[in-house]
Amino acid sequence: MKRALALYAGGLVLLAIGAFPLVWMLSTALKPSGEIFATPPTLIPHAMTLENFGRLFTETNFLTYFGNSVLVSLATVLLTLVVSSMGAYALTRFTFAGRERVAGLILMTYMFAPIMIIIPFYILVKQLGIVNTRLALVLSYTTFCLPFCLWLLRSFFQSIPLELEEAALVDGADLRRAVFYVVLPLALPGVIASGIFTFILAWNDFLFALVLITSEELKTLPVGVNDLFNATIVDWGMIMAAGVVITVPTIAFFVAVQRYLIQGWGAGGVKG
Amino acid sequence: MNRHPLVGWLLLAPSLLLLGGLVLFPIVYNVWLSLHDKHAFMPVQSFVGFKHYVYFAHDEEFWSSVRYGLIYAGATLVLQLLLGISAALLLNEAFRGRNLLRGVVLFPYMIPTIVAVILWKWLLNDSYGLVNHLLMTAGLVRVPVAWLGKDHIMWSLVLTSVWQFFPFVVVTFLARLQTIPPELYEAAKVDGAGAWRRLLHVTLPQTRNVLFVIILLRSIFMFTKFDTVWLMAGEGGVSRYVRTLPVYAYARSFTYLQAGMGATLAVMMFLLLLVATAVYFRLFRDEALA
Repeated sequence: MKRALALYAGGLVLLAIGAFPLVWMLSTALKPSGEIFATPPTLIPHAMTLENFGRLFTETNFLTYFGNSVLVSLATVLLTLVVSSMGAYALTRFTFAGRERVAGLILMTYMFAPIMIIIPFYILVKQLGIVNTRLALVLSYTTFCLPFCLWLLRSFFQSIPLELEEAALVDGADLRRAVFYVVLPLALPGVIASGIFTFILAWNDFLFALVLITSEELKTLPVGVNDLFNATIVDWGMIMAAGVVITVPTIAFFVAVQRYLIQGWGAGGVKG
Repeated sequence: MNRHPLVGWLLLAPSLLLLGGLVLFPIVYNVWLSLHDKHAFMPVQSFVGFKHYVYFAHDEEFWSSVRYGLIYAGATLVLQLLLGISAALLLNEAFRGRNLLRGVVLFPYMIPTIVAVILWKWLLNDSYGLVNHLLMTAGLVRVPVAWLGKDHIMWSLVLTSVWQFFPFVVVTFLARLQTIPPELYEAAKVDGAGAWRRLLHVTLPQTRNVLFVIILLRSIFMFTKFDTVWLMAGEGGVSRYVRTLPVYAYARSFTYLQAGMGATLAVMMFLLLLVATAVYFRLFRDEALA
């Protein structure tokens, strides 16, 4: 009994640490400006309102930033999944000299934090003539997600018996069909995990967006919202509303796919 | 069936092109840059050898940025471990709502840094922040504390960072906890070991390897952290009280536009990490090999 009580007390503390700041953000976002600065502060707004969101959508470029973030993140996920599936497939299903060394080298690139190469990276992107474009962001994020995704997918592909693929080939499928109908479905949890990782990295990134993008109409959310924050006297209600809107896609995306992810790992003939 | 090595290389080509062009080449280019005077935009450059390295070795701001970086990485590491391991131990027990809680704990790690920062700036706001209100109501302080002022900015930054990154420790540590055979705990119980001794003599030895990796990764991540630090303190005002090495390197390159000097700082950051990692592996050779 004492043990159960201690567990629930600990659970409650952890819940407060993890969720309360976010609840407070939502609460502030739903308050009219007068109530935001009231003493004592209220947890549940007395006069709930959406006016902060209204101001955010109509008086700032927030929707432009949001659109850019969606576009860049989705393009990054798509490109990363295609490139890393191809690469991981090559690393598991083809034998060629230096294969393991290439895999090791790829892992090594994961050790470099973006801040350590951002300067030459910027100069390079400028010389390629793609500075201040969404393409530059997509390529940066794809590159920095690749090592992780390649290694994750490689371990998934390794766990799929080659015989399943060969059986499809014997049945008359060509290699492309065997990959699309046998290998990728079996590796789906790995593909989804890579997708989540990539989406979150692209959606959250601040450094590349700060350095590579200068025009207002190309900015993504993190830099755009930081500009809003620094613009004038802070409009806390509106800033918290922005925080809510940025957070929702990440958490929704994760919650939606997490169930699927766990199911995927449990079911099927793959042991990873 | 076509499994020709050439097809393999072809499939791998996009990955190699991106990693080679946008990571490996910049690494080499960075070293080259560090030996040159170069403006961040203009095509002006001249070879200066190790001049920048010598300069920074005597630069007070460089050493203070290393010191701030060590304080920041050290403090956040210790607190992340304490909070993360406690949370993982709790979430390894069976109770109702555990799965929900396992998901909720991940939230701080998944939200964008900009959100974590504006959120904590609001909570820590001196006039209207919830933290000051609660502290004053509880009678712990009499006047509002300027949490984001120069005296407390480092600790506010540490608090924000710990909140943002402790879930990483929870997830990795919990994953290892779940693979410890229950028989080990049963045996310890039979031998009369209490909860504290079971933690010390079963859990700790079993989790040494994963702790080795967690400490290594978190130290590197925190020492090279840019966005949280930069967003928390901005560029002027109190920023010099939390100017860690990554922020200093950024400022040299993109505020003062001295790309060569910025690149030098990046190389020095890498060398410091390399030495620290080598020492760490030497010190904990057993854990590294296991």
